[in-house]
Amino acid sequence: MRRAVLAAIVAALLCITSAAQAKPPRIVALTPFGANTLVKLGVEPVGIGQTLGGQERFSPKLKDVTVLPLSHPNGPNLEQLASLDPDLVLSSPTWAKGNESMGDLGIRVLVREPRKVAESYSQTLAIGRLVDRRKRAEALVKSMKEGVAQARKGIERHPSVMLILGVGRTPFVFLPNSWGGDVVTKAGGQLLTGGVESSSGFERISDEVVVAEDPDVIVAVPHANEEDIPSLTEYLRTNPAWATTSAVRNGRIHISVDNSLLQAGTDVARTIRKVRRLYLEN
Amino acid sequence: MARRTLVFAGLSAALALAVVTSLAFGAVAVPLGETIEILLGNGGGGPHQQIVETLRLPRTVEAMVVGAALGIAGAILQGALANPLASPDVIGVTGGAGFGAILIIILFPGSIALLPVGALAFGLLAAALVFSIAWSGANRGSTGKVILAGIAILSLFTAATTGLLAAYPERAPSAIFFIAGGLTSSGWDEMATIWPYFAAGFLCAALLIRPLDRLALGDDVSASLGSRPHLIRLGAAVAAALLAAASAAIAGLLGFLGLVVPHVVRMAGGTSSHTFVVPASAIGGAALLAAGGTLARTLRAPIEMPVGPFMVVLGVPLFLWLLRKVV
Repeated sequence: MRRAVLAAIVAALLCITSAAQAKPPRIVALTPFGANTLVKLGVEPVGIGQTLGGQERFSPKLKDVTVLPLSHPNGPNLEQLASLDPDLVLSSPTWAKGNESMGDLGIRVLVREPRKVAESYSQTLAIGRLVDRRKRAEALVKSMKEGVAQARKGIERHPSVMLILGVGRTPFVFLPNSWGGDVVTKAGGQLLTGGVESSSGFERISDEVVVAEDPDVIVAVPHANEEDIPSLTEYLRTNPAWATTSAVRNGRIHISVDNSLLQAGTDVARTIRKVRRLYLEN
Repeated sequence: MARRTLVFAGLSAALALAVVTSLAFGAVAVPLGETIEILLGNGGGGPHQQIVETLRLPRTVEAMVVGAALGIAGAILQGALANPLASPDVIGVTGGAGFGAILIIILFPGSIALLPVGALAFGLLAAALVFSIAWSGANRGSTGKVILAGIAILSLFTAATTGLLAAYPERAPSAIFFIAGGLTSSGWDEMATIWPYFAAGFLCAALLIRPLDRLALGDDVSASLGSRPHLIRLGAAVAAALLAAASAAIAGLLGFLGLVVPHVVRMAGGTSSHTFVVPASAIGGAALLAAGGTLARTLRAPIEMPVGPFMVVLGVPLFLWLLRKVV
């Protein structure tokens, strides 16, 4: 009898312990990639970050999650963040200063912001390990890879593409080590960079190089809204510096305002298809 | 007299050299002979003609006009306010123009074509606020009041600009070139809109040269000679505001040029006479900005950098050398 009671107590304790272990960690995701990956792995973050006026592409399943406004250079307000009592924050290099402060508060911070399609696979697996959803992460990565392979099928032409960030007459070009640059390359575009390199993934190149290299397509990512597209297209089309380029002469100037070329996502295959269909026409 | 002539000759030679290098060098190698043929109207079409005619030539002219304007703005402000630290910053223009441009870049990106107009309008608005404060109440039009009002308005607009940049960090990269100063590649478009403000500023400055020399004798002596010191000061501030705001609209915030160039030519020429300092500052400013613009385009080509830091690199050593030698 005594043994039976003891066994029951031990079993109960084991159940309680395992239940405590199974309790999902409280995660705040400051990047759309982190937040959307968690959702696809079946984990709901307790908070997500959003910049003022930003157009982050969050999954509809996150509509009821607490939103933390982000501001430069700290990211979220530390008091608001602490009130969510997170075990883990998935952050971005953009909030480097804030990441340090979060660490000082005793919060575990991991920087998860892929700048290459291949990195989105490895980081998805890493997030899967963090939240103990390895199998789902592996399945997700498998479907992402299959989707990308499918989206790249039948590429016939490789137009030269100048992908620019920002507005004004002094925009920065996306380099191959940026999310948008890698996506355009995967979609079959030849990225016009003037041969420059930068760890940031963006650099301002001379308009003389733009004229000399003569892009077939110009795609701008201006941090603007849908209604700004006609005026921005006209602004770029009438830029005297680019008047002789094939892109301007053939009316192949496009504006992308949905941030799909700026922010990494698990829906990369859809982005590649969009780039091919709307911009590269290949 | 010989010293002044020598300084004029030296500045003119520097300007000629800066203009030639600005037209000859860039991210793409265009043979000098072909550049000359293109400039003479004998280009055979193609990318090189586009590069020289649409990119390099307008940029060089912009550099000359903006450099001259900022040099003159600094010279007449320093003379009118009898303050060696006076520059377009002091009358609030730089702060206002910066806010106007950043407002459009950050909040109204769809209206980006209005950036030069926004910079010009807010630059002039800031100057108008400074004038209205400085020319009202007790001690109206006094140098101290103009400078203090200018610092207050400058602080106000700078804080607003910083607030916008901090609130929308992902949009800040588009603003960097404006803040750090940079000649863009807009062909003649922006100059076609802004030139009347330059023209009005240059004309006002030319008319103020002799009155400013009389003002340099002091308000009382100047008044006894029939001048109206407060009116001269207001005229100088308005001319400087027009020139500085038009410059900001074209090339962003380059306040350093307006501060340093007049001092350099004053020390080099050994005189503070405005008949010398104003035209010499115009030539010196044009040369410095044209040279800085070429360096910004070529040093890390094909990467294009802001021009402001290069003017500091070029101007400060010369300024410090003269300061040590002359003062």
